[in-house]
Amino acid sequence: MPNEILAPELKAKADKIVANYEERRAALLPVLHLIQDSYGFISEKAELEVAEYIGIPPVDIKEVITFYTLYHSKPCAKYEFNVCRTLSCSLAGQEKIIEFLENKLGIRVGEKSADGKFGLNEVECLGACEMAPMMQFEKEYVGNLTERKIDEILSKAA
Amino acid sequence: MEKLISQFFDIPDAHLLPVYLEHGGYEAAKFMFQNLKPQDVELEVKKSSLRGLGGAGFGSGMKWSFVPRNTGKPIYLTVNADEGEPGTFKDRFVITHAPHLLLEGILICAYAVGIHKVYIYIRGEYEIQFERLNQAIQEAIEKNYLGKNILASGFDLEVIVHKGAGAYICGEETALLESLEGKKGFPRLKPPFPAAVGLFGCPTVIHNVETLSYLPFILKRSGEWFAKLGSPNNGGLRLFSVSGHVANPGIYERPLGIPLKQLIEDAGGVRSGRRLKAVVPGGLSASVLTASEIDVKMDFDSLRAIGSMGGSAGVIIMDDTACMVKALYVTMRFFGHESCGQCSPCREGTGWVSRILKRMVDGHGRPSDIDNLLDIGSFMGGTTICALADGAQMPLLSYLKKFRSEFEYHIKEKKCDLEIQMTEVR
Amino acid sequence: MPTLKIDNQDITVEKGTTVIQAAEKLGFVIPRYCYHPGLSIAGNCRMCLVEVEKMPKLQISCHIQCADGMVVNTETERVKKTRQHVLEFLLVNHPLDCPVCDQSGECWLQDYYMEHGLYESRLDEPKVKKQKAVPIGPTVMLDSERCILCSRCVRFCDEITKTNEFGIFNRGDHSEIGLYPGKELNNKYSGNVVDICPVGALTDIDFRFKCRVWYLRKVDSVCNGCSRGCNITLEVNTERPQHGHGERVMRIKPRYQPEINQWWICDEGRYGYKPIDHGRILEPARRSSGPPEIISWEDAITETVSGFQRFSKRSKEIAILLSPQLSNESLYLAKKLFSEKLGLDQIYLLSPSLEGSQDDFLIQADKNPNRKGAEILGFSEKESRIQELMDLVSSGKLKGLYLFGQDLVSIFTHRNMSEALRKLEFLVFQGTNSNLTSKMCHLILPSASYAETEGTFTNFEGKVQKFSQALLPIGDSRADVEIICQLARKLDFDWPYFNTEDVASEMQKKVPAFQNILASAPAFQEPFEEKVSK
Repeated sequence: MPNEILAPELKAKADKIVANYEERRAALLPVLHLIQDSYGFISEKAELEVAEYIGIPPVDIKEVITFYTLYHSKPCAKYEFNVCRTLSCSLAGQEKIIEFLENKLGIRVGEKSADGKFGLNEVECLGACEMAPMMQFEKEYVGNLTERKIDEILSKAA
Repeated sequence: MEKLISQFFDIPDAHLLPVYLEHGGYEAAKFMFQNLKPQDVELEVKKSSLRGLGGAGFGSGMKWSFVPRNTGKPIYLTVNADEGEPGTFKDRFVITHAPHLLLEGILICAYAVGIHKVYIYIRGEYEIQFERLNQAIQEAIEKNYLGKNILASGFDLEVIVHKGAGAYICGEETALLESLEGKKGFPRLKPPFPAAVGLFGCPTVIHNVETLSYLPFILKRSGEWFAKLGSPNNGGLRLFSVSGHVANPGIYERPLGIPLKQLIEDAGGVRSGRRLKAVVPGGLSASVLTASEIDVKMDFDSLRAIGSMGGSAGVIIMDDTACMVKALYVTMRFFGHESCGQCSPCREGTGWVSRILKRMVDGHGRPSDIDNLLDIGSFMGGTTICALADGAQMPLLSYLKKFRSEFEYHIKEKKCDLEIQMTEVR
Repeated sequence: MPTLKIDNQDITVEKGTTVIQAAEKLGFVIPRYCYHPGLSIAGNCRMCLVEVEKMPKLQISCHIQCADGMVVNTETERVKKTRQHVLEFLLVNHPLDCPVCDQSGECWLQDYYMEHGLYESRLDEPKVKKQKAVPIGPTVMLDSERCILCSRCVRFCDEITKTNEFGIFNRGDHSEIGLYPGKELNNKYSGNVVDICPVGALTDIDFRFKCRVWYLRKVDSVCNGCSRGCNITLEVNTERPQHGHGERVMRIKPRYQPEINQWWICDEGRYGYKPIDHGRILEPARRSSGPPEIISWEDAITETVSGFQRFSKRSKEIAILLSPQLSNESLYLAKKLFSEKLGLDQIYLLSPSLEGSQDDFLIQADKNPNRKGAEILGFSEKESRIQELMDLVSSGKLKGLYLFGQDLVSIFTHRNMSEALRKLEFLVFQGTNSNLTSKMCHLILPSASYAETEGTFTNFEGKVQKFSQALLPIGDSRADVEIICQLARKLDFDWPYFNTEDVASEMQKKVPAFQNILASAPAFQEPFEEKVSK
């Protein structure tokens, strides 16, 4: 089956990853990250191609994708707000942050805006409790969140 | 006050090799290659009483002595940079500001045990840190601190950074190995233990980031010196992650054995006008302490003696604006979300307990709930494949026992007796 | 060889034996879900936790290996309370579908609950919802809510069939068993996952809603689908015929036999019971011209015997077609009657079915249970000889044929068998199910199926196995052994046999290869297996 997802350039990167491990299967998580970074999500076609590439049944890929929270089977929003909800952030008022964002974005936690621009998620501890309440936005950790800070971010998000 | 690892948090650009070298970087490694045999390194580490700082507190030198050296199979080191224990953020600081310190520690461990390939398993959300590590590795290879024939010693070492994908359970050492091998993070049945059968079936040493980062200091000064910095059998300093209702949340590098009271003061104390109510001393999995228990010494053995644990030194301070019912709910919701689902007491127990607590938070608690929770909780621990359920059990039982009257009030009055607003929990 | 104490009993075992296995050797079953002796250890159900002295935590007995001096206790208060709580945990999200669940009556949640639970439920929270009643293939129905995530099915398809259909998706209490979207559970051994599923998560579509298991009577038997001879239990319903839809056999389950099929059976064997209740010949019949007319056994035997007597001087013009479907006892008696007493030497062996496919696990190409038995008695199927025989039939040189169930019309489609058979003077059919050929025969003698009699089969490796009678012969059919005895007596031969037992004892003395009957497996391999009634 000709590779659509693992096009030559991407496949070359994947091959380099595979070379780092004694067993081929160990390259699975990094290869999935590679695909997700390139395409924004892991489609069914990608699942099947990766299954063949690594040499494992597709059901194993599905198990892995559904187990880990960072792999997405559907495209994400352009801007995802991942707001921490564990203890230190909860003590620092993360619920108010959520309320504020829900009102501002017009969506509830777990939803994406209709135009696909914004997504709002609650996540567990991100390892940044010193800046609670905080969230991960576009790979960056943004902490000591206030309504003003969030407004600033929103205005920059084109 | 000694600043060992934390000195690098204040130095600008400490993550860059030239800056690291300026501040004594890789000198311990150089010394080691020139003067020490692997057994010497192991002995020094044993003398240091360095304990596993990821949470388990296992003696590091002892861990190395469990690794069989003559199986004919390669020995691996996997570095646990999964840092998922809520309240803990120290490894993030180390990797962000001192990745070379970690690499030097890795080098020392690898030399001592006879390891030539290392995987750093870093949590997937630490994107910036992932890049910093790879940068540092590149720099180190270029200047011969990693790769082949390091510093003309004849010793080879390869370090690969492997990103996780969002699962707290992958911080458990055997789940980490499963995840590294490309599977779900399902902890393995033990025995066998990773020292004997670990990554790809080979003997494997697994260490936390911070534990490895102290190795250069131990070799530079001595194991004995390091041990004396701390408490008997709990050697050295550690990075306390302090957060919650304190004036100055952040990392505090202090001796093992510092009284909790002192640590809280060092972090600026509770916010002005408020009273201390509770402290989580060792990450979310640790039993909660009341305000009357803060004289305890913050080392593994002392905390264990009072029924809690040193864990990852994630210290979460709660003042009198904190609702204990809500805090416990948030805690159990975390464990329910992160349970891998393999075994029944954890999978079903954490979910069930979370649902009961949510009901309570929402004002629909029943009088029988408290005793039910205590009974359910007592069978979640000690019956599972890994310690996640034990980590869920300890807060569950401790909150209920130590703050029982607050839970009873909540059930009876259907709300908190605190000044803070009760918002509907999602 | 470590020696240890389990519940105060000493036992010495091979190194590497687990505590759960050692307990079985002592005769008791430690409760379990995920442990299966034929699969790898998962250790996830936590039901088999036991107390081991000097170890602070309870240990799972399926994983911990016996060590010298170990002291194990499986019935302490602590262990019992833990089991109660493990059961409670397993039931937290379980839908309690018992009234509509086929597993009811043989469900391990029910059974262990009765043994170890027995307390008031305190669960009063909403349960996690998952997929229900999803056919995941032609044979198996999945209900993910009922699943206790023991992973037996996953391990079976990974390790035994190596087809990797199952996976467990998500995590925590949202973990769900399933297949890759769009894929099917369709390997040749799919039905086994229903056997090993301890609860009603995987149920048999063929058996769905057919009959409550407490109405089933279970009898030890041997599958007649191929020459492997997998051990089975025939599970029949004769108490409530109104539930049977005309069928008596409700299902076939494999029976543990370490030397032949371990715990497994192929789907063809599992679902191959329909011919026992469908398409059977119920009465003896005679056909002269026009359709067959029903006659009495008296008449049928008399007329068959006269037929043989007509050929007493023309023995070259009659042939007997024995079948590798017949039991050792039937073949032994057939040889005695046709070869020794009647002196016929045109006795052939012809399989009623064509050769099928074979695999490297259980399925054999030879779809007959007793070819080896026939060969031991001197009857083998030779292609060239059969072709010669059929030439004789076609040419009209053969005038009489005695069949044992073979449908010659369908087997030899390239020949115009119907026309050739019509020209025969004497055509007798002794068999269980009607077919194109049986309808054409002058005399039709209905025989009992293997489920309706007893006897032995010899599998392709020479292993002799006993099958027991589960049902009375349908309609007015009779066991092959009985029919042959009746013919022999009518022919006035000295014939001291009256039933299978008489035959068996002589046969075993005279034919050494039939002496060692493979013993049935030990009392249990899985908990709650009923000791079968003979």
